[in-house]
Amino acid sequence: MGRPVGIIGVGQTHHGRRRDVSYPELVREAVLRAFEDSGLDPSDIDGVVSGTMPSMMEGVALTHFYFADAMQGVGKQIMKTETCGSTGVSIAHTAYYWVTSGMADVVLAVGHEKMNEGDAQATMTTVAEPFYQRYFIAGAPGVFSMQSQMWADRYGIPEEKIRDAAAYISVQHHNAAFDNPYAHVKIRVTPEDVKNARVITYPVRLLDVCPTSDGACAVIFASRDKVKKFGRKAAWVRGVGYRGEEYFFGDSDKGLWQSAAQSAKQAYDQAGIKNPRKELDVAEVYNPFTFQEMLFYECFGFCEPGGAPDLVLKGTFDRGGELPCDPSGGVLCTNPIGATGLIRVAETVLQVTEKAGDRQIPGAKTGFSHAMGGVDQFNGVMIVGSRL
Amino acid sequence: MSKKVAIVSVAQSAGAESKDNFYDQAYRVTRECLDKVGLSRDDLGTIVSASSDIFHGGISCANAYYWETTGAFLKNASRQDGESLFAFMYGVMRILSGQYDTCLVIALCKGSENPDNDACTLMFGDPFYHRNLGLTETTAAALQMRAYMEKYGITKEQCAQVAVKNLGNALRNPFAHRRGKYSVEDVLGSAVTAHPLTELQVAPKSEGFVAMLLASEKKARKLTARPVWFKGYGSSLDTYFLGDRDLLKTELRNAAVRAYKMAGIKDPKKDIGVAEITEPYAFQELLWCEELGFCKPGGGGKMIEKGITKIGGALPVNPSGGVLANNPYVSRGLQRLVEGYLQIRGEAGEHQVDKKVKTALAHGTHGYAGQCHAVAIIGV
Amino acid sequence: MSKEYRTLKTEIRLPYELSYGPVWTRFFEGLAEKKIYGTRCTKCGRVLVPARSFCPRCFVDTDEWIEVAQTGVLTAWCYVNYRYFGMPTEPPFISALLRLDGTDVDFLHIIGGFDLSDFEKARKIVKNGMKLQAVWADELRGHIMDIRYFKPL
Repeated sequence: MGRPVGIIGVGQTHHGRRRDVSYPELVREAVLRAFEDSGLDPSDIDGVVSGTMPSMMEGVALTHFYFADAMQGVGKQIMKTETCGSTGVSIAHTAYYWVTSGMADVVLAVGHEKMNEGDAQATMTTVAEPFYQRYFIAGAPGVFSMQSQMWADRYGIPEEKIRDAAAYISVQHHNAAFDNPYAHVKIRVTPEDVKNARVITYPVRLLDVCPTSDGACAVIFASRDKVKKFGRKAAWVRGVGYRGEEYFFGDSDKGLWQSAAQSAKQAYDQAGIKNPRKELDVAEVYNPFTFQEMLFYECFGFCEPGGAPDLVLKGTFDRGGELPCDPSGGVLCTNPIGATGLIRVAETVLQVTEKAGDRQIPGAKTGFSHAMGGVDQFNGVMIVGSRL
Repeated sequence: MSKKVAIVSVAQSAGAESKDNFYDQAYRVTRECLDKVGLSRDDLGTIVSASSDIFHGGISCANAYYWETTGAFLKNASRQDGESLFAFMYGVMRILSGQYDTCLVIALCKGSENPDNDACTLMFGDPFYHRNLGLTETTAAALQMRAYMEKYGITKEQCAQVAVKNLGNALRNPFAHRRGKYSVEDVLGSAVTAHPLTELQVAPKSEGFVAMLLASEKKARKLTARPVWFKGYGSSLDTYFLGDRDLLKTELRNAAVRAYKMAGIKDPKKDIGVAEITEPYAFQELLWCEELGFCKPGGGGKMIEKGITKIGGALPVNPSGGVLANNPYVSRGLQRLVEGYLQIRGEAGEHQVDKKVKTALAHGTHGYAGQCHAVAIIGV
Repeated sequence: MSKEYRTLKTEIRLPYELSYGPVWTRFFEGLAEKKIYGTRCTKCGRVLVPARSFCPRCFVDTDEWIEVAQTGVLTAWCYVNYRYFGMPTEPPFISALLRLDGTDVDFLHIIGGFDLSDFEKARKIVKNGMKLQAVWADELRGHIMDIRYFKPL
């Protein structure tokens, strides 16, 4: 492995419907907060890596040009990483490799999205080529609905139990969002509200899915020497993992999701983690859909395949449970897609450096963050710890 | 841990329009690149691709579409948006991390499927100000060209000579899209696009599937008898507002300084054997040569007149024909590096330069009037 | 609350023209002949549909063409009752992943041929594992919707 890499500052915007700022101003809000948090100056930065969803989303292409100033990237080395929904974690990986390879000492990673300025569903539909798949991929909800069916069928999980567990998750995360000053959706819901909400594509209902959020996140990565020099408390990158499957949605079994399982395994191997549920203190899982979240718990080895609904209902993944998942409220309450994966990383950093405020998991030392992209195609993971 | 990374194999597709399927073309170029050194997909460590969804057939999340064509099924891979030299550097980083011993770097851009270049470059502009003034890379370049000519007395003939040289070099490059034996009068007499630019001084819209296999030092020596080593890299980004910038002092200077420092290059004119530069507008080759330190500011015109940059000259620039001959927008940066590699290995066929090349420079640029630059140095 | 700042409403239209290439030209022309083609990977033996030029896992050319069955089994489905850019037909409709007999990957298309207006009624008919059969459109033009839908057998 290369040089140790620390994370010494994070910043994020107040996510939501941000008609009060222009897109570059939104980006700048997160970047300023990262500098504030780290105590660093733009002159301390060697390079910037940014990324977002495709240009159709906001109607601007190669956004690193437009945001050069907002990101304080003028005169800096620049990288632009984009992998659909997993962009946020891929950006974090780029910054990590940049520092661990010795090619930079301090890198600013920035993920951003202002989805309310465009047509998110249409943009996501264009991921599918127009010869064949585009007709049938009913945006994200349709794909995830089919996946949850495949999962339920495979393990013979009764529909009622899944619905109860999904509703439980929805309630947990919506409550958690109240302790997160940056979260977008802050509403109180009951399990009945969730189970009876409007159907989007069966079985997915309105309160099972993420909102359309505007937001940005900035994270500063640094070499060990720089961490020492700046005298900041750092979170340390202990493992990274990423995998992608075929483009054609029907080619790989999404109920037994190899890219999710293998990306986590790559990160666990690097971090020396053998028993995730025991050794992780907190997880920020990419969860735009409650049903899919349970499948992720299983793929990441938090429980046995098919076993997630039972453990959810037992409270295993609650804030006070054995492995708190998404104490930030997760993607379910906040989803500015280009930033979302990076927000997951930022939230685990806050947790292991004890700066997570009201959503702090006491004693958190090892955090797992994750993002998914494409039509159930990519999965990326980063594990951070309070110690190397 | 070795600090060395080598290029061990390359492959590219022809720049002319083809009715072939994007997905299939990508697979074939990957296949060719791996087969040249007998590396199986199983043994391939990681992949970094370069593409840009605006130049991608209206299919967004670009690397979703071609993921498996690059051999990436169930592998750790990533993507750079826009500049393919970024992807090269990211590949270098992944190997230097010690986690992978091979990395496929591949750039994908199929001109025939996309709208005109400037329909896309218009989209770089913010929707409130620059875009409503119709700023495209071409109109921005035209502004820059006029400023350049007026400040230094560069003549339109000198600018046209770049097109004459490059399109002529392209006659000897089987992958080039546009080629021909033109005179300065032909170039100046071609249709005016944005004055003072004429059609033959503006890059076409080409196809480019360009692949390169990187390896760690140990692995490289197993895969090839003649690895070409990564020596240095630098990139830099300028401020966004066109009016805030000095169009004749771009961030190419910073990118070059960074690359030269890493590569230990003290005098680029002497230390660099051949340069492949991204010149979507003919005059920019002259300006970029100055900013790369090949001659003094304002000296680009004289430099080309003296024949220094022609294929048999002291510092050949774009023996491949450059971007004026072949312009797959996203892939063009990596293609410059591929050409540099071929020159060093003596495999550039008919457009091989006469002298022995030990060090090559590859340059890429995107954005209005060169808002963003990347420079890579390779050598033996 | 903060001031209401201005917004700009704008639309962007960009033209694209995509190449089918040899393999997909043959696949789609096959549809116009009411044939569904797949290709087999000689290394792993998997039959991939729509026909592919290579196997993503073995990474070899797949040039063995097979006319695959037009019947299959339902893997997963989703009832869609909203309009969206790219939809195959007016909602409600059912997107589906189905395994055509003798193939090794799921095929994406829609289920139809019965009253879809009531979700609860549709739910009683559509079950994973059920047998399906392709039904062709009246007008064939070498398009994925030349298969009008897959109907329950």
